[in-house]
Amino acid sequence: MEETIKIFTGHGYWTPLIWTLAALGVLILAILLWSRGRREYKRGTEQELPFLSGEKAENPRVGAPHLYWGFVEALRPFLSPLRDWHSGLINDYAAWFLVVLGVALLLLVV
Amino acid sequence: MSVHAPILAIAVPLLGGFAVPLLARLHRKVRDLWVLLVVLFVGVCVGYVAAHVFTQGIWVYVLGAKNPQETLAPGGFPIRIMLTVDAMSAFMGLIAGFIALVAFPFALKYIPEEEGKTLSLTLGILLLAGILGMAYTGDLFNFFVFLEVTSIAACGIIGFRTWTSRAPEAAFKSMLLFSVSGLFFLLGVALLYGEYGALNLAYVSAQIRGSVVDRLSLALFLAGLLMKAAAAPVHFWAPDAYGEAPAAKALLLVVNTQVSLYGLWRVLFTLYGGLSDAGVGWLVVSLGLLTMVVAALMALVQTDLGRLVAYGAVSQIGYMMLGVGVGLVALSGRPDYGFVAMQGGVFHMLNDALTVGLLFLCVGAVEWAKGTRDLRALGGLGHGLPEVALAFLLASLALAGIPPLNGFASKILIYEGSFRLSPILTAIAVLCSILLLAVFARAFQGAFLGPRGEVEGKIPWVFLLSIGLLVVGILVLGLVPGFFVEEIVTPAAKALWQGRALYLAAVLGG
Amino acid sequence: MIGNLPFVVCMILVALGLWTLVTKRNLIKLVIGIGLIESGVNLFLVSLGYVRGGIPPIYTYAPADGPMVLPTPQALTLTSIVIGVATTALMLAFAVVIYRHKGTLDARKIRDLRG
Repeated sequence: MEETIKIFTGHGYWTPLIWTLAALGVLILAILLWSRGRREYKRGTEQELPFLSGEKAENPRVGAPHLYWGFVEALRPFLSPLRDWHSGLINDYAAWFLVVLGVALLLLVV
Repeated sequence: MSVHAPILAIAVPLLGGFAVPLLARLHRKVRDLWVLLVVLFVGVCVGYVAAHVFTQGIWVYVLGAKNPQETLAPGGFPIRIMLTVDAMSAFMGLIAGFIALVAFPFALKYIPEEEGKTLSLTLGILLLAGILGMAYTGDLFNFFVFLEVTSIAACGIIGFRTWTSRAPEAAFKSMLLFSVSGLFFLLGVALLYGEYGALNLAYVSAQIRGSVVDRLSLALFLAGLLMKAAAAPVHFWAPDAYGEAPAAKALLLVVNTQVSLYGLWRVLFTLYGGLSDAGVGWLVVSLGLLTMVVAALMALVQTDLGRLVAYGAVSQIGYMMLGVGVGLVALSGRPDYGFVAMQGGVFHMLNDALTVGLLFLCVGAVEWAKGTRDLRALGGLGHGLPEVALAFLLASLALAGIPPLNGFASKILIYEGSFRLSPILTAIAVLCSILLLAVFARAFQGAFLGPRGEVEGKIPWVFLLSIGLLVVGILVLGLVPGFFVEEIVTPAAKALWQGRALYLAAVLGG
Repeated sequence: MIGNLPFVVCMILVALGLWTLVTKRNLIKLVIGIGLIESGVNLFLVSLGYVRGGIPPIYTYAPADGPMVLPTPQALTLTSIVIGVATTALMLAFAVVIYRHKGTLDARKIRDLRG
């Protein structure tokens, strides 16, 4: 039984069994904490509306492009050259094939 | 009958694919039944071949001989085309068979009748035949032919939606690059043929001594197959192709890139065996790292769900290249850690097929229910499509390598193996996994979370069946990895790692 | 040296094809570039099978001990030509569809899929 689960990695082994047990423990703890919470929340009432600085928002959806906005903005110096690299121009793509071919030839023949 | 299982697995879909339009003239139900029968037959054949190969060793099937085991013509020369199925080929066949069993029922429902369903099914079955041909063949020119079969069928699928302007564009670019890669592969084959006068992989492998011509053709093979396998910096076609192909068939395109990668391993480990030195290994490792970093960063800024998943799929190619590349670097000394990394790389092929396949199916279901894949317009689909949302979440976590799912089981092998070569490799790989988790958290939040979004129509039960099959696969592979690593991954990795002598002996005797 | 001339010609054709792929912007010309590479590779394959003073590899012509031209490269070339026809046709078909959508064949204007 043990052997059908364990995989050996050279240093040691990995078994999902222990991890799953630990995750279950954490889950039970979380449920316990959650069950201690307040019970005044009611579905389908005003309580469901998101609270944005006391205002009732019209369309309170946060779209995916807004997630990590700051992170992506900080990475912009790396990301915009990368996006430009995927230029959509088929000639560029063919040229990159030549580069890979050239590297392989340099490595193997020269 | 069972003696001919390897060739039947290729021939039946090849003929069955062309029979689809004819049967569609009879009745649509007949056509659908036929497609399912062909795929089921392929699944059975592939399973039988794998069971045979894993228990009794390499299976050589000679075409055109009186006795399919008669490898050498009189004179001791392998003149006929043959299929040589070792554990690695059987492993790829298993992946292709399983994904086909999942993808075709989905496709039967997913592609509307008026959008040319018949032809799309034909192309899908031909692609399957090409993939299995590439996996099983033991002949270099034959490999090229199947490579082109997959290229043509794949581009037919990519550009299938000709009424949009993006799909033909993706198809044209992919076809151009596939043609270049195929032609350079053929040039490599021609050089080897000119030198040794043979096309049989095992025979040529036994002759190779490392002359300039040998190394030249290795460089051509490398460039051609890296392009087809979507390694950076020649991965540009892949996000376009995966993103624009109908989602039900994008799974098969992923398997197609994997089988091209398998071709590369076959060339490097079996054909060139001892000759592929550490330099080539480092090239594969560094291109693998580049692939995962570039694709993960590009996935971060995508606003189209299909294209985002496509970049995620490309980044996984990098992990396979890292795993097997570490093995290649260490091939001459054959230390333990090299084999661990190779196990990880090979195992990751199976895990990637399942997780990326599941993600594409979820994208297809979202597109079916909502009519768009634009993350700016999607949102709140978790209320209407809870099953799809859960499956997407599971697949995202598996792809990002979160324990205890299957992606982690293979990634830990890759991490541990590459750590012994250089900790920097592991650091970059772990970093990319974290980045991918961020990417897919964003995709999940954008598509499924938030206030209730409108959903048109119900998801057909066939979709849920296909999705469920992959979910079960991911959970089983994640929770009982030991069994699969022991039974199918280790033999497959061993076939590359030290199986060259056996491969040659199976064909050439002695 | 002169015996290697066919191979040199083939490589020049391949190089010209690659040059076309990198520099030309018209989709039809790109397909022609693929055609050039393909001709180069096919010529290379066929010239590999040439044997000086060889006889066509037809069973009834074959003398008892004379040299024959290798038939395999010719079979390979035929296969490769057929595959080439299929890929070229497919690419041209997509070029036609692209032209219908965009009204242009300039690769610089066919860049919806980027980033």
